[in-house]
Amino acid sequence: MASKSNSKSIIDEDEEEEEFEHFDDFTLASSWERFISELEAVCRQWLANGPKNLLVKEAVQMDLFKDLYKVKSEFKYAMKSYCMEYYFETNNDGKVADWNQILHDLQLSFGVKDFLVIAPQSASGVVLDAPEASKLLSAVSIALTNCSCLWPAFVPVHDPSRKAYIGIQNMGTVFTKRFEGDRIGSQVPIKLMHLEGLYELFISKFAYTTVDLSMHQFKVQFKMKLTYRTPSYDDEDEVQEVDADITAPGENRESETRIKMQWDDDCPWSEWYSAEDPVKGFELLAIWSEVTVESSADMAEWENASPLEADKWFLYPILPKNLGISDGNTIGFASQLRLLIKALEMSLEAQFVEDFVSVEKSDSENLKSSAVIPPPTVLDRVLKDLFHEVTEVQLDFSLGEHKSSRAIKGAPLESLFAQFCLHALWFGNCNIRAIAVLWIEFVREVRWCWEESQPLPRVPSCGTIDLSTCLIYQKLHMLAICIDKKRQQNNGHDFDRNDDSATARVQEDLQIPNNSSAFRGVSIDDRKCSAGVAGSMMLLKSQRILYAPITQDPPPMTEDMHEERLQAAEALGDSFSFSAQLEKDILASDMSAFKAANPGAVFEDFIRWHSPKDWENDDSLDVEVSQGTEREGKVEWPPRGKLSERMSDNGNSWRKIWNEALPLPISEQKPLLDPNREGEKVLHYLETLRPRQLLEQMVCTAFRAAADTLNQTSFGDLKQMTTKIGQLYITMASMLKYLQSHKTTVDSDVIEDLKRLCVTFEHIEKLISLAASFHRKFLQSPHLAQSFFSDYYDYYLPKMGTGSTHGDTDTREFDKKQQIRSHEDWKVITSMFTQPTPNQSWRKVLSMGNFLNGHEPILREIIFSKRDRVSGSYYAASNTKLYRQEIETYRMYVCGTSNDLRVALAVASCD
Amino acid sequence: MEFSSGAPPEFDYLFKLLMIGDSGVGKSSLLLSFTSDTFEDLSPTIGVDFKVKHVTVGGKKLKLAIWDTAGQERFRTLTSSYYRGAQGIIMVYDVTRRETFTNLSDIWGKEIDLYSTNQDCIKMLVGNKVDKESERVVSKKEGVDFAREYGCLFIECSAKTRVNVEQCFEELVLKILETPSLIAEGTAGVKKNIFKQKPPESDASTSSCC
Repeated sequence: MASKSNSKSIIDEDEEEEEFEHFDDFTLASSWERFISELEAVCRQWLANGPKNLLVKEAVQMDLFKDLYKVKSEFKYAMKSYCMEYYFETNNDGKVADWNQILHDLQLSFGVKDFLVIAPQSASGVVLDAPEASKLLSAVSIALTNCSCLWPAFVPVHDPSRKAYIGIQNMGTVFTKRFEGDRIGSQVPIKLMHLEGLYELFISKFAYTTVDLSMHQFKVQFKMKLTYRTPSYDDEDEVQEVDADITAPGENRESETRIKMQWDDDCPWSEWYSAEDPVKGFELLAIWSEVTVESSADMAEWENASPLEADKWFLYPILPKNLGISDGNTIGFASQLRLLIKALEMSLEAQFVEDFVSVEKSDSENLKSSAVIPPPTVLDRVLKDLFHEVTEVQLDFSLGEHKSSRAIKGAPLESLFAQFCLHALWFGNCNIRAIAVLWIEFVREVRWCWEESQPLPRVPSCGTIDLSTCLIYQKLHMLAICIDKKRQQNNGHDFDRNDDSATARVQEDLQIPNNSSAFRGVSIDDRKCSAGVAGSMMLLKSQRILYAPITQDPPPMTEDMHEERLQAAEALGDSFSFSAQLEKDILASDMSAFKAANPGAVFEDFIRWHSPKDWENDDSLDVEVSQGTEREGKVEWPPRGKLSERMSDNGNSWRKIWNEALPLPISEQKPLLDPNREGEKVLHYLETLRPRQLLEQMVCTAFRAAADTLNQTSFGDLKQMTTKIGQLYITMASMLKYLQSHKTTVDSDVIEDLKRLCVTFEHIEKLISLAASFHRKFLQSPHLAQSFFSDYYDYYLPKMGTGSTHGDTDTREFDKKQQIRSHEDWKVITSMFTQPTPNQSWRKVLSMGNFLNGHEPILREIIFSKRDRVSGSYYAASNTKLYRQEIETYRMYVCGTSNDLRVALAVASCD
Repeated sequence: MEFSSGAPPEFDYLFKLLMIGDSGVGKSSLLLSFTSDTFEDLSPTIGVDFKVKHVTVGGKKLKLAIWDTAGQERFRTLTSSYYRGAQGIIMVYDVTRRETFTNLSDIWGKEIDLYSTNQDCIKMLVGNKVDKESERVVSKKEGVDFAREYGCLFIECSAKTRVNVEQCFEELVLKILETPSLIAEGTAGVKKNIFKQKPPESDASTSSCC
């Protein structure tokens, strides 16, 4: 019958009925019969379509259960409307999934796979009236029998909180299975809290109907699943417990009770904020599969069984939904960066940083109200931290940073400006006024260092200026170098900047080569200005050892100085006269220093030292010279050779400079860098910096420093996390590059992009804290941390794509469990269940047994089953071969704690 | 590739190119040969030199700012700052002097790693002075192998005879034009919204590999 209607698409029930080929007698149809036939029609339709077609048409996936779908249809009967739903799975292996999977309540309770539920369309959705319920069930049952369908059908009864159902399943021609489930919400009888009580409850379901209860032992199978929850990490007592265990297994517990340890104390972000532990705990499932018991005493024994004897263990973490991102009030770098971007948006409202401080000048109303400036004590503390409490900072910033950090134009982590930016994030609520106040004080403090010639903390005072950093950092680096130079001058390192005295000395020095041509060896003065002997080179003319001079460092240049040069060069255009004045100055300085270190030296000597490739030895002579050296100093002198063609050109600019250079050790030269002038220029820049320029650099630096900080988190070997962090850097670099380019003003698009960047940042930040938390909890078996993290990562990744914090279209919760196979891991997990203190033990009065390290299960689930050979029934005589199979005649599912018990019974009978 | 001799007031892209290599390999001559079609034995560069050249490639008006650095060791700290932001780096060696070739991997390659801030920047290996064929010590195959290993373009040319000089710069510029991230940098004053270039669900943070 069903096959006939297969291909018909049904528009409404009346048409459907007309098309049925079997005979239906509607002449005497009551409304009850009509209702049944309506149900039947729908069932036929569903049956005919099969899961595959239903999936295409109308089935909706159940959120919580990945492989469960439902279709529904509505009916009216006796002034009431009902809704029938058909639940089905797509995998067709016919078996009910194992109970370590997440199952639908009814699947779990009654051991069914696909099923029907019919319920009235009311507010509660529950049939309250018992006759109504059974009538409804019979209707469905008849309908299903009519279309020879074997689906079990259920009707909810009683109060919805009881989750009570009755149900029926046609098992072919012989058997019918009846289902009944109910729940006790409170005051569970003591008897039913213990295993023997539950065993007897199960026995009673069949014993008194068939055999004498007292005389028999009943062999039944049972499966048991116990759920344990690790002690809460937030619980103060527990934390001390853990702490004490780490320090010493013992006695000093009392002394430490006052100190509460945060889980993330050793994480790099804890300097700035404390994150809530994303892992609230773990639940452990200990599963015994298929045990046979014969008596109550047997059963009672099982209550003493330790979970360590269970067959299987599954563990899963308890995590807040979406890692708590969607609630929007978590504090972290991401939340503060979002505030900083707001400040960036507002930074255009004033021309000078000072304008934000004086409220009178600012027109903006919301600025006055919302922008709180922290009290002076907070300000003092921040400045103290920035400038005074600097413990020997490692100035090699590259250590802590990611390989892509440099692509972001900010200051390196731990540097003065990076620390300033991170402080600013947490100063007040990072509003523009608080930032302005902090910046003004910051610059004041920098000015003080300059005036007092105090070294600038957290800034290197040497080296070349890194142009990949932000301009403020470059300027501070420049200032630190200037301060260092100033200090050298003040400390008597005789850097003579006074031109008059310099020339006076020049006159003296000029005398030396002329007067003392017979001068042999090296005077102390010469040593002072030389960096040592330059190999075995000798001067060409005077046959003295060639000394490499101490030369001046090339002057540091910040980005804007380079740009000025570039513009100057461009202004000169294509002409040859691009005068590299600075480079000429450097060359001249080198030549002066060389002359001073090597009196009597000629231009060729300088070239041999400075640009060896422009001195060409005659090859044949080379051989002679090397032979000559063997004969102890009887070298043919001078060595034959000549300047390269390009060096010996007439009008060669090198020779011109050489001719003009005076022999001066660098101590007497005009410094290439004028520290006083350059230093003042830096301070001028800092003091007149536009709010917008300040904020743009702060945003870049804050992103970079925050990412670098998070990047230092130790989370073990988690490839996905490392990759994700790498991607974050690339995204940041590509978005932040629109800031700090003075060509464009920041428009709203950029701001929007930055806000999106904050969302991405928040995701990564949360994932890192999760990774760190797993890592800490499974230090002993990192592979567990890895598999938990990658499970969560796979689950979480699609959610990140939404790009908004409120993208909860996908409400599925994380439910992946890890089976724990190795016994090493069992030990690790057992140790997570720390022995409760006496203080905690007395609170627990569940008395359900099966302790794990003193912890009781929080939930116990048992499935009893009794199997019977189908024999001795009245069908057996006629049809012995067909039905000599073992079937589950009684099945009882029990789930509960001491104050909550659910029991579901399925009985197969051949009535 | 057309070269416009005058300086047009506007351009589509500005690219910064950098020339590095040992002293005396002919960087300045190469640049001069390219920018003014002449060859002279030049004085050694002091520190750094700079030339601007306007060209039109594929219908795009380009402004090339070419920085020519001195090869002397003493100037190296000074020239390091010019690596920053360069879209193209030209590594020059002298085919008649082997050490200028080996120094590219020993010294100059490392300098690029250290100072270049641009991950995508195009590198080009140039063997100069092929006019002195009789004195050649570095074979073309060695150059090709090196270029393959370092993932860069390769060409041999002569600043003196102007063989391959224009091709050298043209190749480099074409390659830069094929690289979107470099074009974006070179685009003067035009901001691109990277979120809007792609569909929102595949933004850089979420789409890629893993």
